[in-house]
Amino acid sequence: MKARDAVFDTLKVKVDERPQSLPQDLAEALRLGAISIIVLLVAAFLFSGVVGPLFALGGVEETVMDVLTRLSLLALPFVAYIGGASVARRYTRSDIARALGLAFSSTVLLFALISAGYYVLDYGVFAPRPSLQMTLSQTEAGIRVEAIVAGGAAETAGLQVGDVITAIRRDAVDLEAFNKRLGQALEGDPLRLRFRRGDEELQETVRVVLVSDKQLGALWPGLSLALAFTAIIVFLPGHWAPYIALVGLLSPLIVGYFWVITATFSFRTEGLVPLDGNDNFGGFTLKNWESIFVGNIAGLEFNIVPIFMTSLAIAAVMTFVVLLVSSMAGYALSRMHFPGRRFFLSFTLILHGFPAITLLIPIFFVLLRLGNIPIIGDLIGFNTIGGIALVMVAFQLPLGVWLMKGFFDNIPWDMERSALIDGASRWRTYWEILLPQIRPGLLALGIFAFIGGWNAYIIPATYSIGSGVSNLPVFLEELIDATAPVDWNQVAAVGLFQLIPIFIFFIFAQEYLLNIYAGGTKGSS
Amino acid sequence: MKVTIDNLSKKFGDVVGVENLTLHIEDGEFVAFLGPSGCGKTTTLLTLAGIYKPTDGVIRFGERIVNTVQPKDRNIGMVFQSYALYPHMTVFQNIAYPLKLKKVSKADQHDRVRQVANVMGIGELLDRRPGQLSGGQQQRVALGRALVKEPDVLLFDEPLSNLDARLRLTMRGEIKHLQKDLGITSIYVTHDQVEAMTMADRIAVMSGGHLQAFDSPDELYDRPKTQFVAGFVGNPPMNFVDVSVQASNGRFFAETESLRLEVQKARGAPPASHDGPVVMGIRPEDIQIASNGLVSGEIFVVEPLGREDLIDVRVGRHSFLLLADTENRHQAGERVSLAFDMEQVQFFDPETEKSLLWQ
Amino acid sequence: MSEQAKTSDSSVPRGILGSNALKSYLGAYGFMAPAGILVIVFFLIPVAIVLYLSVTNLASSNFTSDLAKMEFVGLKNYQTLLNDQFARKIFFNTIFYVLVTLSIFNVSLALIVSLLTTHIDRNAGFVFRALWILPRITSPVVYILIWKRMTAEAPFGIINQFNEAFGQPTYNYLATNPWVFVVVVNGFIGVSFGMIIFTSAIESIPKDLLNASLVDGSSKLQRIRYVIMPLIRWPLLFVVTYQTLSLLTSFVEIQLLTDGGPGLYRTEVWSLTAYHRALSNYFGNAQWGYGSAFAVLLVMIGVVLAVIYMRVFRFDELIAEPRVEAL
Repeated sequence: MKARDAVFDTLKVKVDERPQSLPQDLAEALRLGAISIIVLLVAAFLFSGVVGPLFALGGVEETVMDVLTRLSLLALPFVAYIGGASVARRYTRSDIARALGLAFSSTVLLFALISAGYYVLDYGVFAPRPSLQMTLSQTEAGIRVEAIVAGGAAETAGLQVGDVITAIRRDAVDLEAFNKRLGQALEGDPLRLRFRRGDEELQETVRVVLVSDKQLGALWPGLSLALAFTAIIVFLPGHWAPYIALVGLLSPLIVGYFWVITATFSFRTEGLVPLDGNDNFGGFTLKNWESIFVGNIAGLEFNIVPIFMTSLAIAAVMTFVVLLVSSMAGYALSRMHFPGRRFFLSFTLILHGFPAITLLIPIFFVLLRLGNIPIIGDLIGFNTIGGIALVMVAFQLPLGVWLMKGFFDNIPWDMERSALIDGASRWRTYWEILLPQIRPGLLALGIFAFIGGWNAYIIPATYSIGSGVSNLPVFLEELIDATAPVDWNQVAAVGLFQLIPIFIFFIFAQEYLLNIYAGGTKGSS
Repeated sequence: MKVTIDNLSKKFGDVVGVENLTLHIEDGEFVAFLGPSGCGKTTTLLTLAGIYKPTDGVIRFGERIVNTVQPKDRNIGMVFQSYALYPHMTVFQNIAYPLKLKKVSKADQHDRVRQVANVMGIGELLDRRPGQLSGGQQQRVALGRALVKEPDVLLFDEPLSNLDARLRLTMRGEIKHLQKDLGITSIYVTHDQVEAMTMADRIAVMSGGHLQAFDSPDELYDRPKTQFVAGFVGNPPMNFVDVSVQASNGRFFAETESLRLEVQKARGAPPASHDGPVVMGIRPEDIQIASNGLVSGEIFVVEPLGREDLIDVRVGRHSFLLLADTENRHQAGERVSLAFDMEQVQFFDPETEKSLLWQ
Repeated sequence: MSEQAKTSDSSVPRGILGSNALKSYLGAYGFMAPAGILVIVFFLIPVAIVLYLSVTNLASSNFTSDLAKMEFVGLKNYQTLLNDQFARKIFFNTIFYVLVTLSIFNVSLALIVSLLTTHIDRNAGFVFRALWILPRITSPVVYILIWKRMTAEAPFGIINQFNEAFGQPTYNYLATNPWVFVVVVNGFIGVSFGMIIFTSAIESIPKDLLNASLVDGSSKLQRIRYVIMPLIRWPLLFVVTYQTLSLLTSFVEIQLLTDGGPGLYRTEVWSLTAYHRALSNYFGNAQWGYGSAFAVLLVMIGVVLAVIYMRVFRFDELIAEPRVEAL
C-alpha cells in the first residue's frame, strides 16, 4: 500500500511538473474554483427550486431541501477555495512561496467574485439584517444611543440620542444580549424597550425593520477566514484528508454515544456538559446506576431483574432456535438431493428480500390463534416469551438458512462422504461431523440472532400486554414516555445498561458483525 | 471379497461420468484405476462406495447386489485425497469413529484403535488433532480409520497426491505391503501411472468414461491394446509417428519421407496388411543415440532429469523423445544418429486407435 | 452371463431404488421441516390473513379473532383509502423519505465512506467501518434516546448547545425540522449496509487494474471515476434494491422519534400508518381491516422487489447440485 502510494506520488509529480507559467496556474485555479461554484449553485437550485417544490406539490411538509440548499451555499466559498488551492498544492513541497502566492491570489479573486455575487443578490454578509436603525454603545449605565437614523424605526418610536436602554421587556440586557436578541428577530417584530432619558424611566415599542446597508467593511472577517482556510488547505498533508472527512462524518455518532456514557455517570447534563446540583461542571455520581437496581426512576417503580431475564430469555431462545432450525435447513439445501430443492432455495432467497415486518398485523391473529391451543398456547401464543421469540426467529430464518447453506457449501464433500462410509447416518453426519466444522458460521449467526433478540422492541411491544413479558427496550420506551427530560440521566443509565452486551460484541466480534450485517451476501458478490 | 461390476453407467443429468463399465475384481486383488482427470475413475470409485447411485448396471460385493445398499452397510473403508480427517476430533476419536457408530464397546474401541495405530506407527499421536500432524501422519491416520473396522473392500482416492515426492515413495511401499498382509480387496484411483504400475496387480485404464484396458502392468506396458493405453502408460510417453508399412520380399519396412526402418516379420506383417497409413509407436528407452545409427537428426532440447537426460531429437518433421546417459553431455543443435530397437515397436490403426498387433 | 445379469438385476433393484429414494427424500424433508413450519405459520398464513383482513371491516368495536365471523365488505377499505385525504400526503411522504434517505445516505454516503476507508491504512479503515455499524446494532429505543437528546431544546439538547456556543439561535428541532432528523436518524443506520457491500466490491477489484491505471498516470479521482465506479455497478444495483425495500418498510425509528408527527401526519409513512391503524391506535379504535389494506400494498411491493432481488442475486450461479446421493 505504502509502496504503491510512493510510486503513485512519483508518477504524479512527473505528470504535474510540466512547466506552467504563473498566469496559467492562476487561470487553472480560477477555473476549478468557478466550476465548484457553479456545481454548488446548480445543486442549491435543484434542491430549493426543483425537488423541494415537487414534494411540496405532493403535500410533503419538509425542510430537508431548505437545509440542503443552505448547506450547499454555506459550503460554496470553501469548496471554491479548495478548488483553487488544489493547484497551489502541487508546489507545496518544491516552491512554498509560489504555492502560497498562488493559493492566496486565487482565494482573494474567488472571494471577490463570491462577494460581488452576494452584493448583487443581497445575500450573506450583504443580506438585509434586522435593525432598529440606531447606533449603540455599551456604557456603565447601560446601552447608550449614540446616533439615530432620521425617519428610521427608532426615531418613529420616539427614541432619542442619549437615551440609555436597560432592558427588553423585563429582561435586563447588555449590548451583546441586545444584539443577539435583535439578530434573531424577524421583520416587523415588536421590541418593547425600557430606557432612561435623564431621570425618567420610559418604555417604547420599536418595530424591527430589515436594513441592507452593504458595508464593505463587513467583508474583512470573511476574507481573513478565507485566507486562513486556504493556508490550512495548502499545508494539509494529503493523507490526513480522508481521516478528517471520516471523523467529520462520524461526529454525530461519536457525540451521541459519548453523551450516553457521560450522562449515566453525572448528576445531570446540559448538552454534553455534566453538571452537579449547583450547575457547576462535574457532578460525577453512580446514583443513576443505583436507581436501576433500586428500581425507582422518576417515581416509576419497577424490578429490573424480571425485565432483564425476559430480555435474556427472548435473546437466548431466539439464538438457540435460529441456529438449530437454520442449520438444519441449510444442511439439507446444501447437501441433500430432494425434489423441490431448487424451489426451496429460490423461496428462501425471496423471503430473504421480503420485508417480514409488513406482516405484523396478521401475525397478531396467528399468535391469538396459537394462544387458544392448549399447552402450546402457553408456550408460543400471544403475550408469551416463546411466541415473541418465535416470530423473530421466523423473521431471521431466511438470512440464517442462506448463511448456513453457504457455510456448509464450503466444507469439502470428502468430509461428508467419509462420515457416510464410516457408518454415520445423515443426522449424525450433520450433528457430529459438519456442525462442529462451521463453528465460525454458527458464532456469527448466533451473535446476529442474539443482538436481534436483545434489541427487539417493536415485536415485544406489539405482541405483549403489560410488563409481564416486557423486555429492556420496551421498558426503556415506557420510561422515556413517562419521564421529563431532566430525569434523562437515569433513563440513559437504563439505555447504557441495555447497550453493555452490544458493546461487548462490538469490541470482540467486529469482523463477524461487519460480515453478517451485509446480509451474508459478501461471498456472492 | 470379490467385487463385480457389470455394465455400470453413471450419468449426472446429460453428463456421462462412466459408461458401460464391466470389471471383475478378484478377492484380495489390488486394482488401480488409472486415467487422466475427468476420465470417470473417481466417479466409479464413489459409486462403488455407495456415495453415488448407479444409473444403470449392477455392482456386486461377493454375491450380494449392493446397488442400493447404503455406504454404511457396505463394510468398506476409504482413504481420500484430502484425507477427510475430522478436524475437531483427536486422532483417537477419528480412528474410533467408525467403531463408535457400530456401537462397539468402549474397551474394544480402545484396543482396536491402539492396535491399528501401532501398525500404522502413529501410536504416539493419538491425543493430537489432525491440524497438528504432518501430511504423512494424516495419511496414516486416514488409513488407520479405514482399516479399523476391518473392511471387506478398501477404496483409495488418489491418497498420495498431496504428499511430497519422498514420502510418496515410502507410503507407496507401505500401502502395498499392508494390502498384501491383510489381503483386503483394494481399489486404488490414481492419475500417476508410476503408482499404478508399482502397486497394482491389475490396472484398469480409463478415459472419457470408458474402460480402455484392464490388465497386469507388464501386459499394459509391453502389449498395449490401444493407442491411448500405449501413450498413457509409461513415462516419458511413447513416441508416435505416422508411417506406412511396406512388405518387400518378405521384409517389412516402416516408411515416411525421412525414415525407412526395417521391422521384423512378427511385428511388421499385421500393419503391412492394413490398408493405408498406420501409427507407429516406440518408447523412448528403445531409441539410442549411437554412432552406427541409421537415422540422423538434430537435437532440439535437452532436459536433464538427473539420472539421465530427456532429449528431443528432430528427424525431418518428426520429433522423438529419448533417454540418454548424462555422461555424454549432448547439446541442443548437435547432429546425432539414432538407433531404433524395432523389436519393441507398436502399430495402431489411426482410425480406431486399436493395436494392430494385440487383440 | 452379463446379459442374464442385466435382465435379472434391472427388475430387482429398481423397486428398492424407488422406496430408498423416497426414504432419502423424507430425510431431507425432515431437515427442512422446522424451517418449513415456521415459514408457513409466520409468512404464508399471515400473507393470506392480511389479504383477507383487508376485505373485512374488522375494528375494535366488532373485534373477533375468528376469521369466519368477520364481516366481508369487499373492496370498501381500498375505496376509503383512495378517498382518504391524508393517504395522498402519506404516500408522498413515503416516496420522499425513501428517495432522500436512500440517495443521500444509503448510497452516496455509503459509497463515500467505503471509498475513504479503502484509501487509508487497512486497520484504521476497518475501525471506521466498524464504528458505522454501531447504530445498526444498537436497540432502536436506545438509539432514538440518543437522538432525542441530540435534538432536544436548549439547554438540554446537544446541537442547541453548539448553536449557543456559536451565537446562533436555538430550535426545538423535532418540531421545526422533523423530516431532517427522520432522514438523518434512519440514514445513519442505513450507511453500514451499502458501506460493507461497496467495500468488499472495491477490495475485490484486481490490484493489477489499479496499478495499470497508476502507470497510465491517472489521479486518485480519475481512478475512482474510471476504474472503481464501473466495477461496482452490480453492488450498487443490489444495494438500491435491498435498501429501498428496507426503507419502505422500516418504521420503528420514525415511530419512536416523531410517531408520524408533529401535527397531522407530518412525518407519517405508509408502513407506520398500517401499524397505527391496526395495532397502535391513538384513540383506542384499532381498524384492523383498514390497516390491512395499507399493509397489503406494502406486501405486494415487497413480493415484487424480492423477486427482482432474487434476480439481482444471480440465483442460478448459486445452486450447484449436491455431490452425495446416499441417504
